[in-house]
Amino acid sequence: MSHDKITFNLDGEDMQVDAGTSLLDACRSKGAQVPTLCHEDRLEPFGGCRMCLVELDGAPRPVPACKTNASEGMVVRSASESLERVRGTIAEMFMAEHRPSQGGRPNAMEKVAKRFDLGAPPIQFPKRTEYHDHNRFIGFDTDACILCNRCVRYCDEIMQVTALEHFGQGPDAIVQPTDGLSFLDTSCELCGGCVSSCPTGALYEKQAQGIEESSCETTRTVCTFCGVGCVIDLNTKDGNVVKVTAEEGVGPNDGHLCTKGRFAWQFIHHEDRLSEPLVRGDDGELHAVSWEEAYARVVEGLSKVKQEHGADSIGFLASSRCTNEDVYALQKLARSVIGTNNVHSCAAT
Amino acid sequence: MTNSIAEIEDTDCLFVIGSNTTEAHPVLALRMKKAMRRGAKLIVADPRRTWLAQRADIHLQLKPGTDIPLVNAMAHVILKEGLQAQDYIHNLTENYEAFAKAVGEWPPERAAEICGVEAEDIRKAARAYATTDRSGIYYTLGITEHVCGVDNVRTLSNLALATGHLGREAVGVNPLRGQNNVQGCNDMGNNPVYLPGYQLVAEEENRARFEKAWGTPLSAEPGLRLDQMMDRMHTGELRAFYVMGEDPLISEPNLAHVEEGFDKVDFVVSQDIFLNETSRRHADVVLPATCFAEKDGTFTNSERRVQRVRKAVEAPGSARPDLEIITEIAKRLGAQWLPADPQAYWDEVADLMPKFFGIRYDRIEETGLQWPCPDRDHPGSKFLHEGAPIRGKGVFYGVDHVPPWEEPDEEYPFLLTTGRTLYHYNAATQTARSDGLVDKQESNFIEIAPADARDLGVSDGMLVQVESRRGQVDALAVVTDRLSPGVMWMPMHFSAARANVLTGDGRDSEVGTPEYKVTAVRLATHGH
Repeated sequence: MSHDKITFNLDGEDMQVDAGTSLLDACRSKGAQVPTLCHEDRLEPFGGCRMCLVELDGAPRPVPACKTNASEGMVVRSASESLERVRGTIAEMFMAEHRPSQGGRPNAMEKVAKRFDLGAPPIQFPKRTEYHDHNRFIGFDTDACILCNRCVRYCDEIMQVTALEHFGQGPDAIVQPTDGLSFLDTSCELCGGCVSSCPTGALYEKQAQGIEESSCETTRTVCTFCGVGCVIDLNTKDGNVVKVTAEEGVGPNDGHLCTKGRFAWQFIHHEDRLSEPLVRGDDGELHAVSWEEAYARVVEGLSKVKQEHGADSIGFLASSRCTNEDVYALQKLARSVIGTNNVHSCAAT
Repeated sequence: MTNSIAEIEDTDCLFVIGSNTTEAHPVLALRMKKAMRRGAKLIVADPRRTWLAQRADIHLQLKPGTDIPLVNAMAHVILKEGLQAQDYIHNLTENYEAFAKAVGEWPPERAAEICGVEAEDIRKAARAYATTDRSGIYYTLGITEHVCGVDNVRTLSNLALATGHLGREAVGVNPLRGQNNVQGCNDMGNNPVYLPGYQLVAEEENRARFEKAWGTPLSAEPGLRLDQMMDRMHTGELRAFYVMGEDPLISEPNLAHVEEGFDKVDFVVSQDIFLNETSRRHADVVLPATCFAEKDGTFTNSERRVQRVRKAVEAPGSARPDLEIITEIAKRLGAQWLPADPQAYWDEVADLMPKFFGIRYDRIEETGLQWPCPDRDHPGSKFLHEGAPIRGKGVFYGVDHVPPWEEPDEEYPFLLTTGRTLYHYNAATQTARSDGLVDKQESNFIEIAPADARDLGVSDGMLVQVESRRGQVDALAVVTDRLSPGVMWMPMHFSAARANVLTGDGRDSEVGTPEYKVTAVRLATHGH
């Protein structure tokens, strides 16, 4: 990409940006408040919602700032009475096809309604057909959808699996999984990227349904489902993980997650989790014991083998799932306490 | 990885070999997808027509276990057509002659026959990789899990050195790590020959540094690798086994043999978050540990980035963090260790590892740091080998083809290769407890090429029995043109049908990595 500089005028001030900079980015860098709905930084500019319209000297009508690049000598206004009126009318049209979903999910339409001081819309589109399938991760409240196509574009541009489509025209237009099939029967990989990109909460996580997002605490940590090291936020409520999210611009994943990272956290609170030490009794079965008893049994077992057969008759195996501190301690135990270098891990492959 | 994950999207030619990236590393694959969308060339070498392979400019659908002929032939083309980086080779490498001689033996036509690919495709791939300024190699277990895993990696390293495709942003050789802390587990010295920070235990000055810090003499005798430990169980030389967070009875090859070994061990401790095959059948003591969401610490990802892990919820019952369990045991065995505070243990080990010295908790609160990071002002290393290979000169290896440990024959006519799917993870102890993932993939399956299915009288969805010389498992047949005739594929996730009952005893001759990727099998349909 060329790094030539462009000089143009924004809201009465000259400003210099790199060639190829959109008017939206230029406005944002200057702190000008331009509303958006269909825009997401990780997606290509779409120009679909028209909320980001700005005025351009010499242009017959306002242009979308997301899809218009700054060019030499341009004169741009990001705010005016007329723009406010046009954007307000557009916002009202969105309100007409949007019925807010229940369940505490953030909804950009609330902010838009507030900003343009909108009451109940003068007309309301008919309700859409409800969407149901038996996938357990992704829910879809069709009436909350404003057809911004962020989900469709996420699926096309980023995941490149094209499992969602914008189908039909005019008042009949809808977003749906390919051919109206279940999410389980399309090329969908259940990554939930569509959910993360949805501005109105129309697409949502079934596992977190009904939980007010604002009532959750978040803890930033790292996913354990492969070696990429996606930075995740564990959303917790009342001491339980209820959802996993990721923040755009953070970590090697830049806010993206896969199906395991986003949805497969049930094991954390699963009833099969080990909750007390066990030792094998004379009957050959495992029995619950206190930590003191378990430690005593470990110390006795290791000491006896070491005494009778030497330190090198004991082997240690660490897991690549544990933390650095855990595995450091295990090899230190093997080497400095037991006295053997017999310590390895599945990391051998 | 010599490069960073974010750099992948700036690569102009991606050579992906032995990696089904979109399923095994889905989020890293998004960077590849971004590069592709920008117009980057994609070369995929894989026995399966994976998602990436379907979209590749060149798909080299090689027979499993023939990576060396393939990559040697690419190098052959590069040298023959004068596409090598002469200055780089001259100034920054050694042992070029041995390499040139070895690859001289591998004209594309010879390799094509062994690999089952077109010679012309090998030429095209070699040209694309060599003539693109920003070329990167990405590989994973399809390269390493072979009897010749180390040699496979060497051929890739040869390719990078011959073209000078190393030491720049978005240009390098990148093994993609399979587990969240494979990198860290190695870094921390969970290895029979290395102390933490890749310091050889056999060298006296290394031991002296650790002996001083730990206040105790250390054994100079290199220890046993995992595969050797498994063997020594049989001979009675290994009498006690302490396993933390692993289930060898699903993850090791030739499981019947492993099981017999465990029967002979006097004392087994399993420290884990669930009961597993190993602990259920063999543990004398089972210690309940906390999972990642219940503890503090660090993981090191594939790009060498040390990142903070933070406690979000309480552990079930009386489960305790691994670090605490180990320190308590050390204390009861008479050792004087620090209390179980992760930060204190990180500081202790970082002080002992020059390449990690600058990485401290206060610096990685917001964003992790990539090693090498030798001092506290060092910004970390985005990519390695800048200007020159770290060791001064890159070493070429002359590598010749090593056939798999076991090849199909009349009795077991099919070649089975194994791997991971998008919807499960390793032994599936965690993912099998996610009902939404189980909906997508419930039980074991085997992918079979249409022609083989027809010849065998197998149709899609039929239950078949897969047999090797070591055992048998059931699987549902998935008839798919993702595979060439003669080759079959099975995931390794399902405890009810453990793929490793089938796998054999082939291991890399240098590091002992099992050959999970090649097994000779035959198929029987139930009721026949």
